Amino acid sequence: MAPMAPAASTLRTVESAIGAVLSGSISEITQRSIYRRLGALAQIAVEDLTEVDRRRVLSDLESSVRLFAKNGSTELMAACTRVLAGGSQVVPAPSGVPIGPKRLPIDAEKDIAAARLDAWSEAVRLGLSKFKSVKVATAVSELARNIVFYAGQGMIELRPRLDDGEPRLEIIARDSGPGIDAVKLQTIFAGTYRSDRGMGKGLAAVKKLTDEFAIETAPGRGTVVTCAFQGER
Amino acid sequence: MSHSPALAPQGEQAVPIIQIRNCLLVSIQIELHDRLALDLQAALMDRVRESGAKGVVLDVSGVEIIDSYITRILNDIGRSVRFMGAECYLVGVRPAVAMTLVEMGVELDALHTALNLDLALARLEPAG
Repeated sequence: MAPMAPAASTLRTVESAIGAVLSGSISEITQRSIYRRLGALAQIAVEDLTEVDRRRVLSDLESSVRLFAKNGSTELMAACTRVLAGGSQVVPAPSGVPIGPKRLPIDAEKDIAAARLDAWSEAVRLGLSKFKSVKVATAVSELARNIVFYAGQGMIELRPRLDDGEPRLEIIARDSGPGIDAVKLQTIFAGTYRSDRGMGKGLAAVKKLTDEFAIETAPGRGTVVTCAFQGER
Repeated sequence: MSHSPALAPQGEQAVPIIQIRNCLLVSIQIELHDRLALDLQAALMDRVRESGAKGVVLDVSGVEIIDSYITRILNDIGRSVRFMGAECYLVGVRPAVAMTLVEMGVELDALHTALNLDLALARLEPAG
């Protein structure tokens, strides 16, 4: 417990935290129906929200906010995401400063789902749109799966940034597996490659989903995929 | 009973198959990893044969992310159901998931789709 923190922020319920953000943009009546929809989650202290709860609240909120806020729904959602992130330590850093990278070791199939979830919440926290966040999670899922299937183990790094207030999420997937030769790489991105286990479409899918994409690989030298998602305006 | 399906021990049927009249319903709520997907496919084939079901409905409304691997699994299930003479419907695809799949260039060629379970059943069993 932080002794200097104001009492108001330490025991704030989800309802009061969101209420503070939405008041002025969304009517009282609509707000009440939003809280009713959230049910018991609305009365939980922000600090006690689990990651899954937090995501459920945000995804519920998203549809209501988009529907009822006349304008600035993206900003409202970003503000809600911030207040639910639970405390001042996760408020986005000043422009251009990395918010702090996250390294996710990928060693087993269970790590795929975990990486996906981490990437998703990172995207939401950064203020990327709902669709963009789903794309982020899908791309990370593909990258993590490739690592588990073809290399056995590796690492995915998430690098959230705010450049001039624009959110940007860089993703680096690294493994020291068998690597990919130039001919195979060509068939992969031409969409004609088929592996035994997957559809062989993972990498091509990641390339299509991301705003920036680069791959460095050679037989016996492992694979590094560097890609980025940019917040849209 | 408070068991977590995701942590189900080896051999346990973690994805339940429910029969509604002439159709089999599978609600996918958990991570479909390799073994689980194969188990589900095998169990589903057995149930199709035993029950003579006309249709199989795969409900993915609880699935927030579908990547190319999951798509392949769904297509494989759809294809094997079709080989057995039944039709396979995918229902409950979330909007963001649908948009992502389109952007990825992924196709669900072995599956019919419907917005929800109700509509899928209506198509599988026209006029009750």
